[in-house]
Amino acid sequence: MLPRIIKYGLKRIIILFITVVIAVYITIWIANIGGYVDEIVKSDILLQVSQSVRQNPAYRGLNETQITKIINEIYENELKKIGFDKPFIYRSLIYLKDAITLSLGRALFLSSDSGSKSVRIIILERLPNTVLLFTTTQLILFFIGLFFGLFLSRRYGSFLDRLSVLLAPLSSLPGWFYGIFLILIFASFLRLLPYGGMVDAPPPADKLAYALSVLKHMTLPVLSWLIAYSFINVYVRRTFFLMFSSEDYVEFAKAKGLPDSIIQRRYILRPTLPPIITDFSLTLIGSWMGAIITERVFNWPGVGSLFYMASVMFDTPVLVGLVVIYAYLLAATVFVLEFVYAILDPRIRAGVT
Amino acid sequence: MRVLAAVLLTLLFMGMLLWEMPISYAQVPKGPWVDEVIFSVETDEAKTIDMLLKNEIQVYFRDIGDPKLFEKIKASPDLWYVTSYGLYFELTFNPVGPEFPATGKLNPFSVPRIREAMNYLVDRKYICDEIMAGMAVPKYTVLTPAFPDYARYADVIKGIEKEYSYNFDKAREIITEEMIKLGAELKEGKWYYKGEPVTIIFIIRVEDQRRMIGDYVASQLEKIGFTVDRQYKTSREASPIWLRGNPADGKWHVYTGGWIVTAVSRDDADTFGYFYTPRGAGGPLWSAYKPSPEFDYVAGRLWTRDYKTIEERDELMRKALKLSMEDSVRVWLVSQTAPWPARKEVSLTYDLAAGFSGARLWPYTIRYIDKVGGTVKIVSTDLLVDPINPVGGSNWVYDAMFYRALSDPAVIPDPFTGLYWPQRVKRAEVYVEKGLPVGVTLDWVSLKFVDEITVPRDAWYDWDPVKQEIIYAPPGTKAKTKTVVYYDDNLFNIKFHDGSKLSLADIVFAYILTFDRAKPESPVYDESYIPAFEAFREYFRGFKIVSTSPLVIEYYSDQLYLDAEWIAWAAASAFYPEYSYGPAPWHMVAIGWLAEADKKLAFSADKAENLKVEWMSYVAGPSIPILAERLEKAIKERFIPYRNVLGKYVSEAEALERYSNLKKWYDAKGHFLIGNGPFYLDRVDPTARIVVLKANREFIDPADKWLRFSKPMVPEVKITAAPTIVPGLPANITISVTFEGKPYSRADMSYIKYIITSPTVTLTGAAEAVEDGKWVIRLKPEETALLAAGAVSIDIIAVSKLVGMPVSASGTAIVMSETEYILSELARAKADYEVKISDLKTSLERRVSEINTKVNELAGALGAITTAMWVGIAALVISIIAIILTVLRRK
Repeated sequence: MLPRIIKYGLKRIIILFITVVIAVYITIWIANIGGYVDEIVKSDILLQVSQSVRQNPAYRGLNETQITKIINEIYENELKKIGFDKPFIYRSLIYLKDAITLSLGRALFLSSDSGSKSVRIIILERLPNTVLLFTTTQLILFFIGLFFGLFLSRRYGSFLDRLSVLLAPLSSLPGWFYGIFLILIFASFLRLLPYGGMVDAPPPADKLAYALSVLKHMTLPVLSWLIAYSFINVYVRRTFFLMFSSEDYVEFAKAKGLPDSIIQRRYILRPTLPPIITDFSLTLIGSWMGAIITERVFNWPGVGSLFYMASVMFDTPVLVGLVVIYAYLLAATVFVLEFVYAILDPRIRAGVT
Repeated sequence: MRVLAAVLLTLLFMGMLLWEMPISYAQVPKGPWVDEVIFSVETDEAKTIDMLLKNEIQVYFRDIGDPKLFEKIKASPDLWYVTSYGLYFELTFNPVGPEFPATGKLNPFSVPRIREAMNYLVDRKYICDEIMAGMAVPKYTVLTPAFPDYARYADVIKGIEKEYSYNFDKAREIITEEMIKLGAELKEGKWYYKGEPVTIIFIIRVEDQRRMIGDYVASQLEKIGFTVDRQYKTSREASPIWLRGNPADGKWHVYTGGWIVTAVSRDDADTFGYFYTPRGAGGPLWSAYKPSPEFDYVAGRLWTRDYKTIEERDELMRKALKLSMEDSVRVWLVSQTAPWPARKEVSLTYDLAAGFSGARLWPYTIRYIDKVGGTVKIVSTDLLVDPINPVGGSNWVYDAMFYRALSDPAVIPDPFTGLYWPQRVKRAEVYVEKGLPVGVTLDWVSLKFVDEITVPRDAWYDWDPVKQEIIYAPPGTKAKTKTVVYYDDNLFNIKFHDGSKLSLADIVFAYILTFDRAKPESPVYDESYIPAFEAFREYFRGFKIVSTSPLVIEYYSDQLYLDAEWIAWAAASAFYPEYSYGPAPWHMVAIGWLAEADKKLAFSADKAENLKVEWMSYVAGPSIPILAERLEKAIKERFIPYRNVLGKYVSEAEALERYSNLKKWYDAKGHFLIGNGPFYLDRVDPTARIVVLKANREFIDPADKWLRFSKPMVPEVKITAAPTIVPGLPANITISVTFEGKPYSRADMSYIKYIITSPTVTLTGAAEAVEDGKWVIRLKPEETALLAAGAVSIDIIAVSKLVGMPVSASGTAIVMSETEYILSELARAKADYEVKISDLKTSLERRVSEINTKVNELAGALGAITTAMWVGIAALVISIIAIILTVLRRK
C-alpha cells in the first residue's frame, strides 16, 4: 500500500512540476509579448536617455559627436543594467531558472518599498499586507457562508432565508464599487474613518497604537467586500447544503429520528467536506494575489497593486515571481488535497475513478 | 495674593496679545516655518481633492489633469492653486518621402510646405478651450511660453502667432497645390495617389487629452480629402513604431507627441537642433530629418553655442524661429497650464516648470499664513520609488521632493527666472574670455572679461587612484572661465543633522570622489558613471582652495552659460557636499564607500546589477544592516577614506566623533540619511509609504530668508489710453504695469515691447518707463505717417526681471487722416459744447425747479403761520372774554 502511495505521490509531483514549469515559461512569453517588449523597453530607454542628456546643464555645449557618444554610452549601460544586452530567448531561460529555483532574481524597473531590487523582497514586503487584508476578509466571508448557509439550509423558506435570497444580487457589483460609497459616507461625509492607506500619517510610534490604526484602515475595505460577497456566499452555501440535505441517506437519518446536530455533522457536513476544503484552500491562495482595483481604491499597498505596476512597466521578473509563487502554492495545494480527499471520503482512492 | 492675581492677569493678557499678533510680529523661528511635514501617497485625484477640501491634507504635490476637478478647485473658497508650464503637445511628422521606400505609398508630410500648412489647419484656440478645457495656452514655436528665451524673442513669436493663426482655407489651398505637384488627384473630395486613396496613418496616444487632439486633427485632415487611419496606442505600444522603427517603413505618418520639462530653462539655444535636426535624440527618426541647409546651419551653430555675443545669438535664434516654422517637422499645439492645488491657509513657493514638488525653495517657504509651526500633510501619487543615496540613488521627483528638503545647497535657483541666488556664498567673481556671450543680472555676481585665463600650477586638476594623491594642473592649461567663490564666513558653523559640523574635509572628499569613481583602479569604480564624468572632464580645468577661513575657492572651466550666475553656480556647487541625489557629509558617504568597496552594496543601480548586490539605500531595507556593519568597521578601524589626502583635513579623533554622531543618529532614527537642510528625516514607513520630516531648529538661517519667493510677481499690464493716431503727428500710448493693484517698480521690469499692426505696416519697438507702473509707447511722426487709416491692433509683451514668464496685452487704436482728424476734432468740440449747453440747460432748469419748490414751501409755511396767528388771536380774544366774564361774576 505504502509504496503505491509513494509511487503515486512522486508521479503526481513530477506531473505538477512539469505543469508549473510550462505555465511559468508561457507566462514569461506572454509577459514579454514574445519578445516584443524588448522593442518597447529599448524605445523608452532611448527617449528617456536622450531627454535627460538634453535637459542636463552639465552636458550643455558639447558637440554632436560627444552628445551622441554620451547618449549611446548611457543607453548601452541602461540596457546592460536590465540584461537587455542579451537576446530574449537567453533571458527567458534565466527568468525561468530564477523562477523555478525560487531565487526570483532582480526586478527590471520596480524597487521594493524599502528600496530593494530583489524580486523576493519586493513580493515579501507586499505579501503580509495582502494576507492581512484579503485573507482576513476571505476567512470572514468563508465562515459567514459556511455557518449561515448551514443555518439557513435548515430553515428553508423562513424570513431570513428569503432575505438572504433577496440580498444575494448585491454581489453583482464588485467590492470596490461599494468601497467608493463607503469612502464617501464614512470618510468624506461622516469623517469617521480614513480615506485609505494602511496607517495614519504620521504612523503611531507605539506598536499597539500602530496595530489599532491598521485595523481602523482595514475597516472600510473589509466592509466593502463583506457587503458585496457575504450574501452570495451564504446563498451558494445554503443551496449547496440544501441539495445535500435532500439526499436519501439524510432523509433516512431523519426518519430514524436522529437529532439535528448529528444529521448536520455526520450526514451533511462530512460528505460535503472535500468541496468545502477545496474551496477554502483555493480561496486562501487566491487571496494572496490581492485585488487590483480594491487596493487602488483604498490605496492599500498589497500584491494586487504590485501586479498592476509590474504589468504596466513590463517588469517580467516581478510578474513571473508572482505567478510562480501562485503556481507552486496551487500545485502544492492540489497535491495535498488529493490525499486529504482520500482521508475524508472513503469513496475516493488512488487509481479509482 | 493680589500680586499673584495681577501677574496671572498680565500673563493672560500677554498670551491673548500673542495669540492675536500677526505672523510678521511673532518670533521668526530658525529653520522652516512649520514643525513637521508629512508625505504620503494617494493615487486617486478626485479623492485627493476631497481630502484637501476636508483639510485632511494641505498640499497636493502633483498637478491636476481633470478639468472637472479644476473647476472644483476654482470654486472652493478654501483652496488656491498655481500653474506650471512643464508639459506640451505637438504633432510629430514622418519626414521620409515623397514615397515610402518600403511600401511605395505617398507621404505628403515629406513636403515641408505641407507640414507648414498644418499650422493653419489646426485651431489651437479650439484645442485649448474645448479639448483642454482652458488648461492650456496655444503654442506655435518650440520655445515654452513661461521661459526666458520666449520672453527674449516674444516679439518674433507674437508675429509668428499672428502669421500662423488658424486659417483652414489657406491650409487647403497650400496642401492642394503641393499635392498636385506630388502627382495626387482630388476625386469627389478625396485625395488619390496612383489610383489609391491617400491614407494617413495617424498614431494617436490614448493616455491623456492627446486622444481628443488626435481625433480633432484627424477630422481636419479628412475635411481636406485625406483618408485617415486612426491608430490609438499607449506610449509603450507607440514608441517602437515612431521612435525606434524605421520611418522609411511607412508604418506611420503623424504621431501626437508630448514633451515635459522639469525646470525653468534659461537657455534653449540647442532646442532647434534637438527637435528638427539629426543632432537630437539619435535613432532612425532623427536620422531621417533633413532640414534646409540654412536651417541646419543656424540650428547647428545654436546647438554648439557657436556665437560670440548675445546679439549674434539673438539673430540666430530669431532666424531659427522663423525657419523652424517653414520646416515644421513638428507642429507645436499647446502648452499645458497645469494647476497645483493647496489649502488657502498654507503658502509655499512653486516653480513655473515643475509646480510645488519641483521648487527648490518649498522647504524654506512652506508655512501657515496665520501661525508659526504646525504640521503640513502633503500627498503625492508616489513616494520612495527607488533606493535613496546621495551618490547614485533615486532620481525620481517623488523622492527628490523630500530629500531635497534635507539639503541646503550653496546657491539656490530662482523658481521664477531660473537664475541662481546665493545661499552659503557671499559673492562670486566670474572672469570670462573676451568675446564670449555671457551676461549678468544679479548683483552677487560680478562679471569681467579678460584676454586669457591660465590655470595656476597649484590648481587641482585630477586624482591618482594608485598613488592616492591629487594631480595638479599641467603647465599652460587654459580655461574659458574662472570663478572666485567667496563662501559665507559662518560656513563651517553649519551643522549636519547628526550634529557634525561642515568642514573643508567634506569638500575635499567630494572632489576626490568625483574623480575616483571614474578610475578603473578604484574600488568604487563605476562604469555607468563614465558618461557623466567624461562630460565633466571635458570642461573641468582646475580647482584651487585660496583661503580656508573664510573659504574662498577658484574654479576653472570651459563650460559656458549665458548667465554669469550659472557659471557661479557650477563653481560654487562643484564640490559642495550636495551630491547629485541629495546632501551628505563625508562620513555618511564613507560607510557606503566601504560597503561598495566590499562588494556588498553599490551606489548606482548599474553597478548593483553588475555585482548582483542591493542598490544602496540610506533609508530602509536590506542596505541598512550592511551600512550599520560598515559604520562599526569604520569606528573600529578609525577609517578615513583617501587618508593620504583627506587625513590632512580631518584627524582620527574628528573622524571618530563624526562616526559616533552618525551612530547615535542611527540608533535614534533607524536610518543613515542626514543632510544640513531646514528639515531632517525623522521617520520612514516604507510599507505604508509615509515619510515624516521635522524642522531642523539648529538651522543657521531664520525662516523668513526666502519669504519673498512665496509668490511670483507676475506683472499685470494694460493699455490704459490709446489715443486716435494721426499720420504724421506724434502719438503716445499709455500702459499700466501693476502687481496686485500696486505700481510695478520700473527697476524690476526688463522691457515692454510693442507690435502695432496696420494693413500697411507693422511697427515694433520698446515702450519707455515714465514712472513706476506707467510706461508709454512713443510713436514718432515718421512712424505714424506709415499707418493706414482705420483700426490698428496693438500688442504688448512685458517681461519682468523677477519672473521669467512674459505677459501680454492687446488693444486697438484708430488711425485717421489729418482732415478726418480735424473734422472729428470739430465734431467732438461741437458735441462737447452741445453736451455742455445741454448740461447747463438741465442745470438751470433744475435750479428753477428747486427755487419754485422752495417758494412753494415758503408759501405753505406762510399759510400755516397765518392760520396759527388767527388761531392765536382767537384764543387771545376768547381768553380776554373769559377773564372779563370771570371778573364780572366775582363782582
